[in-house]
Amino acid sequence: MEKMSVILASDEFEKLQAGCMMASVASVSGIEVNVFVTMAAMACFRQKTVDDRRFPKIGEVGQAALRKKAPLFSDLLIQGKEMGSMKVFACALALDLLDATLAEMIPVFDEVVGVATFLGKAEGSQVLFV
Amino acid sequence: MSEPSGTSNELIDARGLYCPGPLMELIRAIQTKPVGTVLTVLSSDEGSAKDIPAWIGKVGQEHVETKKLDGYWELVVKKVK
Repeated sequence: MEKMSVILASDEFEKLQAGCMMASVASVSGIEVNVFVTMAAMACFRQKTVDDRRFPKIGEVGQAALRKKAPLFSDLLIQGKEMGSMKVFACALALDLLDATLAEMIPVFDEVVGVATFLGKAEGSQVLFV
Repeated sequence: MSEPSGTSNELIDARGLYCPGPLMELIRAIQTKPVGTVLTVLSSDEGSAKDIPAWIGKVGQEHVETKKLDGYWELVVKKVK
């Protein structure tokens, strides 16, 4: 099976949107997708941040996406998981640094892992670093 | 319904949805329908009018036709597997 790995490291809203759209459409197209959420991106996955739509970095396109109610990155991930073969991993280090647990995050994560584990899952795949 | 099972038609009106909404609505529907179902998607999003045939090719379903109508596209897909 064709494989793709998407590493989300940025807290720029538009980058999260683009990365999650790539992951989601790949997943529903029969590609096995592994997503790794790390560093600044992790803070944007807090349930409160998503509920309040208060993203730290958002530009003109992102504002328009919110205003026009385009599907959020979180919805795109949920769709990709429901309708395809996608797993979403949370970076253990990023959670530790934030003093956070998965309970505070939107319910998209399959597992908390470190980089070595994710590299194992990503082996032989196309990698997008966003 | 006088149609034999497996050949029913399904209309998905995804006009007004942003990319990749129409594609996602098609996939959601196609997964639950039997082989032989013909699905028609209406999309006002130009990206989806190109994306849906690309997805159909990728996953091996059958693209019956794409029609450009007044302000939207009509895409017909047959579930063949």
